[in-house]
Amino acid sequence: MLGLFGTLDLASRSLATQQEGTAVAGQNMANVNNPAYARERTVVQTSAPLETTAGEEGTGADVVSITEVRDSLLDSQIQSENSATGSFTAQQSALQNAEACLGEQLTNSGASAASTDGLAAKLSNLFNSFSSLTTGAGDPAAVVQSAQMVATQFNQVSANLSQVRGNLNLSIQNDVASSNQDLKDIAALNQQIVLAEAGGGTANDLVDERQQKIEDLASMMNFSTVAQPNGSVDLSVGTDKLVTGGTVDDHLQAYDAGGGQLVVHNCAGLQLPLTGGSIAGNITARDGALAGLQTSLNTLASQLITQVNNIYSAGYDSNGGTGRDFFTGIGASDIAVNSGLVADPSQFQASSVAGAGGNTRIALALANLATQDNPALGNQSIPQRYAQTVSTLGNAIDAATDQLNTSQAIGATLANHRSSESGVSIDEEMTNLMQFQKAYEASAKLVTTLNAMMETVINMKTA
Amino acid sequence: MRISSSLFTNNFLSQMNQLQGQQIQLQSQATTGLKVTLPEDNPAVMNQALNLQTQDAANTQYQSNITQLQNTATTAATAMSSLQTITEQAGEIATEAGGLTTPTQLATYAKQVGNLIQEALQAANTQDTQGHYIFGGTINNRPPFAAASDSNGNVTAVTYQGNTDVPESPIGAGQTASAQVPGANNTGSGPSGLLADSRSGADLFRDLISLQQNLTSGNTAAIASTDGPNLTTDENHLVSGIAENGVLQSTLESASATATQLDTSITTQTSNLTSADLATTLTKLDQTQTAYQAALQSGMMLMNLSILNFIQ
Repeated sequence: MLGLFGTLDLASRSLATQQEGTAVAGQNMANVNNPAYARERTVVQTSAPLETTAGEEGTGADVVSITEVRDSLLDSQIQSENSATGSFTAQQSALQNAEACLGEQLTNSGASAASTDGLAAKLSNLFNSFSSLTTGAGDPAAVVQSAQMVATQFNQVSANLSQVRGNLNLSIQNDVASSNQDLKDIAALNQQIVLAEAGGGTANDLVDERQQKIEDLASMMNFSTVAQPNGSVDLSVGTDKLVTGGTVDDHLQAYDAGGGQLVVHNCAGLQLPLTGGSIAGNITARDGALAGLQTSLNTLASQLITQVNNIYSAGYDSNGGTGRDFFTGIGASDIAVNSGLVADPSQFQASSVAGAGGNTRIALALANLATQDNPALGNQSIPQRYAQTVSTLGNAIDAATDQLNTSQAIGATLANHRSSESGVSIDEEMTNLMQFQKAYEASAKLVTTLNAMMETVINMKTA
Repeated sequence: MRISSSLFTNNFLSQMNQLQGQQIQLQSQATTGLKVTLPEDNPAVMNQALNLQTQDAANTQYQSNITQLQNTATTAATAMSSLQTITEQAGEIATEAGGLTTPTQLATYAKQVGNLIQEALQAANTQDTQGHYIFGGTINNRPPFAAASDSNGNVTAVTYQGNTDVPESPIGAGQTASAQVPGANNTGSGPSGLLADSRSGADLFRDLISLQQNLTSGNTAAIASTDGPNLTTDENHLVSGIAENGVLQSTLESASATATQLDTSITTQTSNLTSADLATTLTKLDQTQTAYQAALQSGMMLMNLSILNFIQ
């Protein structure tokens, strides 16, 4: 038999149990707005019974553990989706920056929509200025000005795209630094969790913090995780181990593979097979659509320079001068109008023969370049090829946006599932609180009852 | 399904963001009148729109070229008309010369022909509004016809200083035209010379000078046998040139009409591709705004309700 003192002990432990339940409910409510928090619950078990002649006698209940409600499969899926979202977000952002650099935006001007600020309009002006020369009413100075605007636009777009590229490299470097910090933090948390759980306890808060770090890291790079029995989580990318328990086995480095192409490798110099996260997304955008855009613009500029110069250099100006080029440079970054022509537009070589000022065959041939199919441009004219270049970039952004939307929708669904599983419900915690409160009141009543009984026993002696 | 406190608020925020995004997009369409503004909105449409824009700009330049050529052609037509009148008058003098007997009469007619030569020179050396000579071929910076005179001031020879080449200007896709005519072409090929052409035998200044000299010398037989018929040839040749000018002006009119139709077509095509249907856009905007308001109201109502409202 427990006796009065045994029962008092039972009541005392019951008070502690209900108090613990109240504290856990309070902890849950305090963290209701913490997105990294997984709700906790007390695991209450009956204490070891007392063997008596009348059979087993219960000795109350104790809190044996405080566990958190977390689905590791959901966590893993969210981590994976974070990588995908991070990658597509980076790609969309980079390519939208490139789209802004091009400056092609339709506005309602005059009778119909037109993009008046980009290269398309400036190329039209250039070819039209050549055409106007053929009537004798055109002004070579206006032609030179149109050409300068084309050259300047090429230069600016090229410079801006280079800056976007530079910013992407900077982002990669920053993400590499952040990733390395996250790896260190995860290893440190692994160590703490292992120590805390070594004695049989749980380290719920540390696990929440580690999961948050893992998901933050996942937005920057893809990796796989393996949970260990001691509570730690190992991270690896392919066969390359990054974190094993409390140790950082490897870290990321960004290095220049040449031509300003930053790639990411491990300490041994092996390129990491990154396919997700913002690092991979920035690399994909930089080396894919952005590089393609820069190449296309360079090809366009190069062909414009070559085709115009081929025709123009054979022409004659009003003084019989010939052999000079119209454009200088080799690509989008350095295309420019011949400085001699800029200084003196009357040197424009419009005629196909010397001494015939009314001969404008060179100007006519230059004007016809606007519609001439060019084998080096896929048998498209210069304006057509440019329009396709713009459209190709649009397709790349469209694709990234579609993939991002899909990834975000999946991520939102997974987040909802996890919230449903692990999130705190105020209504539920308040109900639990009331339950523990009532149980506490009942246990307190047991204590006061036992106290009165003990007084009765003591007063029996006195009497 | 278990509903956590954050599940409701996260879904609410997500729906608000979605509705706000739709509102912004529709409002932008309503303001700009366009459903496509950036390449990412519709890459294929953007490609077409840029190509149409290029075509439209080229079309506008064709219109400008056509106007310039029409001005030049009109100027040329006026000069040709004057030259035809001069040729007719010279022909009448040649006809009447057969009935002249006195040196005084012949001298008077010779002087008239001298004046006609000067008028013809002036007309043949007509310039356009840019100061370019329109009958010199592509040598347009000096008068195409230069006269040499004797001590009495009579023109003894007129030399053509131009060439037989003419500049072509684009007036449509793959189509060019020239409003200029070389003053003379004795090469046997190429564009017809206005006043002298070996193929027809015309040479107005030669024949005018010959007429003047024959009148001065009293050689009425030569006038009747040579100068008269030659002047008739010259006039027929000029009429042919005037007809070609008429054909040119018709061609330019036709090209202008085509350019105008093309302009309309491009505008329509561009509008069909890029314009937002305002009625549909405003209706959708109204619906989205209503949905947004309803979501806000219901969300606020539900978020304010919890067990805490009922615990005493």
